[in-house]
Amino acid sequence: MNRFHSVIPFVFLIFACFSNLFGQASEQQINESELLSLLKSLAVDDDEVRANVITSLAKSGDPQLERFFELYRQGSVYNWPDESGKVRIVVNEETVMDDDFNEFAPLFEPINGKPFIVNGKQAKPDLLDLEDISPGRKIRTLVNSSKFLLRLFSKDKDVRISGIKKCGDPPFLPEAVPFLKEIIDDPSVDEKIRWLSKESISLIRFSGKLEGESSLSDRINALQELGELNSLRANARIKNFQNELNELYADGEITAGVKRKFDSEITKVKGVLQGHKDSVELAGNLFRGFSYGSVLILMALGLAITFGLMGVINMAHGELMMIGAYVTYEVQMYFGHTPDTPIDSYYFAALPLAFLVSALVGLVMEGVVVRHLYNRPLESLLATWGVGLLLIQLIRIRYGDNIGVNSPTWARGGYEIAQDIVLPYARLYLIGLCVAAVSFVYFILRRTRQGMLIRATMQNRDMARSLGVRTRNVDRFTFALGSGIAGVAGYGWTIIGGVTPDMGQTNFIVDSFLVVVTGGVGELAGVLFSGLGIGVLSKAIEPMEFGDFVVGPVWGKVLLLVFIVAFIQFRPSGLFAPKGRLADKK
Amino acid sequence: MYIMKSNKFKLALTALLGLTLSMSGLHAVKIGVLHSLSGTMAISETSLRDVVMMAVEEINESGGVLGEQVEAVVVDPASDWPLFAEKAKQLITEDKVAVTFGCWTSVSRKSCLPVFEENNALLFYPVQYEGEEQSLNVFYTAASPNQQLVPAAKYMAEEMGCKKFYLLGTDYVFPRTANKVLKAYLKAQGVPDENVMEEYTPFHHQDYQTIVAKVKEFAATGDACILSTINGDSNVPFYKEFANQGLTSDDCPIMAFSVSEDELRAMDVPPLVGHLAAWNYFQSVKTPENAAFVKSFKKYCVKAGLPGGAKRVTCDPIEAAYFGVYVWKKAVEKCGSFDVDKVRKAVYGLEFDAPGGKKSMHPTNQHTLKPVYVGEILKNGMFKIVYSSDGLVSPDSYSSYLWPDGNYPKPTGGPNGDGSL
Repeated sequence: MNRFHSVIPFVFLIFACFSNLFGQASEQQINESELLSLLKSLAVDDDEVRANVITSLAKSGDPQLERFFELYRQGSVYNWPDESGKVRIVVNEETVMDDDFNEFAPLFEPINGKPFIVNGKQAKPDLLDLEDISPGRKIRTLVNSSKFLLRLFSKDKDVRISGIKKCGDPPFLPEAVPFLKEIIDDPSVDEKIRWLSKESISLIRFSGKLEGESSLSDRINALQELGELNSLRANARIKNFQNELNELYADGEITAGVKRKFDSEITKVKGVLQGHKDSVELAGNLFRGFSYGSVLILMALGLAITFGLMGVINMAHGELMMIGAYVTYEVQMYFGHTPDTPIDSYYFAALPLAFLVSALVGLVMEGVVVRHLYNRPLESLLATWGVGLLLIQLIRIRYGDNIGVNSPTWARGGYEIAQDIVLPYARLYLIGLCVAAVSFVYFILRRTRQGMLIRATMQNRDMARSLGVRTRNVDRFTFALGSGIAGVAGYGWTIIGGVTPDMGQTNFIVDSFLVVVTGGVGELAGVLFSGLGIGVLSKAIEPMEFGDFVVGPVWGKVLLLVFIVAFIQFRPSGLFAPKGRLADKK
Repeated sequence: MYIMKSNKFKLALTALLGLTLSMSGLHAVKIGVLHSLSGTMAISETSLRDVVMMAVEEINESGGVLGEQVEAVVVDPASDWPLFAEKAKQLITEDKVAVTFGCWTSVSRKSCLPVFEENNALLFYPVQYEGEEQSLNVFYTAASPNQQLVPAAKYMAEEMGCKKFYLLGTDYVFPRTANKVLKAYLKAQGVPDENVMEEYTPFHHQDYQTIVAKVKEFAATGDACILSTINGDSNVPFYKEFANQGLTSDDCPIMAFSVSEDELRAMDVPPLVGHLAAWNYFQSVKTPENAAFVKSFKKYCVKAGLPGGAKRVTCDPIEAAYFGVYVWKKAVEKCGSFDVDKVRKAVYGLEFDAPGGKKSMHPTNQHTLKPVYVGEILKNGMFKIVYSSDGLVSPDSYSSYLWPDGNYPKPTGGPNGDGSL
């Protein structure tokens, strides 16, 4: 192709479009055919032409272009010579395979993202037929910042928010300021979005990148505004500013007096922001402690029944949880839930099924293995361990090692309860699930006839039997209940963690026993308090810093275990020791 | 009585088998496959066993090596590091394999390395690792640090404009050494110490709430990234927590060194879109050879009834394990012998076609010259290649960043066996 010939008309076109664009309101959209012809010039091998087109396109504020810019930066925009030999500009991000695993590239229209139709159906050429027109680094960087500018006009709230935030991040986009001001002045816009726009404007001014407002006192003013906004993003930037001041002072560009004045202003703002940061951290740590605690309680609750009440050292507890997780996976497959076509209801349907299937497995386990081993704790330890290994290998043969449970879409993201304190929905759901599971177990044990029989049998088996309680049935029911609750825990786990055949051994079994033993074997309330206690404690230890030494997860775990060992030394029977005659039996 | 009978039976059977084999003129050369098929590492290593078996099948269908059929002896070291040494010994001394393909974790390789050295046997090791090693008994077909870590950090700094780096890893030898290299590199690039954070989590760590909160604070400046050497099952809860606390790749991109297409199969991908990984191969490498490789791997998985079937994907270690077999084959054919010393000499400087394109073995230091790619995660669990190196990058067994004085051990291989050419 003769490059020279192809460039000239583009350049004209660009200028024609420029004249249209300048001075227009940001909401204006260029018509699509005009856009398309502009886009072609992006394939031109001339960075200057490309850069001009990009800047002008960005200023158009057409939200449709945001996606296109992203694809262009990524290198997903191609030239495609169709059958007639005409070169078309097309988009392909992902490829597809036919049943014989031949790879094709389904094409899309560059602007509106609709399938690229040729002869009535979407064009799907071989990937190798597409000609790469991805730009070099200089252009990519430009496209990237222009992309964020375009996001300011997006209809999608999350996309818009990310655009607004990025305008205030390095390398800063001062050209975004007029648009951000428009957003602030528009009362129909979401409060959060307007707040973020204010923050971003102040951050741009604080950076000194805004023309006409780049003096040091302007920047200090911006910083004071950021202090009023309690902006944590500003807090992170103060250090850079201080370094800058120090350099200026060292170079003799500002006097000691000026520097002192600025320093005292900075210290004031810093104090405010630090206070906000501390409270955010405190609230965050507390929530994280509770949420970790609720996960621990969920894990240990089933074990508190099979081990705590029944005295079976159930090493297959983790595998019962794993089964709950795989049931969730099966239900997801049955419902056909995928990230592209979400069917969130699968997650609610999986809850009772996870309970039932795990309970059933528990029932079989009890009937085949466990019932021969009551009162023989060591044998039950080994036998249930064996059962666990068996279950792991069965699952591995059936599913392999790598499967993905896709969380329901509502479990993504979180709720911002106060400025900068985000509570992830998944964690909130788990806390709710934990409360529900504990209430359920409590209700059965304390408020039903079956529960009364369980308690009677576990307290004094011989007496209960002589009074006509069918203790065999009670054993079966209790073990199945504990197993079912384990299944529910595994089900809940899929929303925050991964699913592998050996997840029980690697993630659950140790922590579960830890919680039950610390809580006091035989007491449900013990599980509650020790679960929460361990959760909050470990989340309080982990972020601690002593000078240069950060505790972190590795040492956090060590310290926690040391703490628990020490605790068990003082209270060998755990938090809630059985009292009275029962204590002798245990 | 019964035992005797069955022994006689076995003898008869073996004799019969031997007879048929010699009658049909079929000789078989044995190769060892030393990958964990159970335990924690099974999640990654099973795929390598699969692809080696596929390579063996292909080679046998096309007439074997030097006219001999290849017979794979598969053992399961069960993610148990000392067992790797024991199984290696069994392969070398009892099964008398000509070569072994295996290992994933560095600790497993270090465990069986003395066995290979004592018996002068060959191991092809297909996983990217921390370097600082060049045993004459190993050929490393995956990346050394300068073929993955350094280019990736460079990409984050130059292309993504990152000025702050959060080095996050699982607590074992690869992340620790990798982060040493990265820190030295960043320091050399003038990144101040306060802009580099380093943190480790235990194996199987699941609760990333605190760490993600810290990352959020660290990344509030908007110019930070994570360089992640988190390994194995910790990745799923880490990425999930990251997304759930409202962070995206725009706020703080994650560059991962141990997340490939195979790991993404187990993840909820949409929240991960835009995060990055650096490898020497992606399934999305655009060549006809790669399309054919992906196709035959999927077909093989379906045909062999492997879990996952048609959903199975290829990734960097899978490619490295696969072409390792062919490197060995080519070297054997070049020297016309299965003898370890001759084969080793033939491997140095060998040029070959891999699914991801032409590559070659280093003339003296046991490693492989490879291209470097950076990929962005797409919604379908594949990577969009956004950076590729100019041609092949030569491997350094010892990182110059860890040996600033330049006095690191020099290559000891090569045709003369002394590092000279």
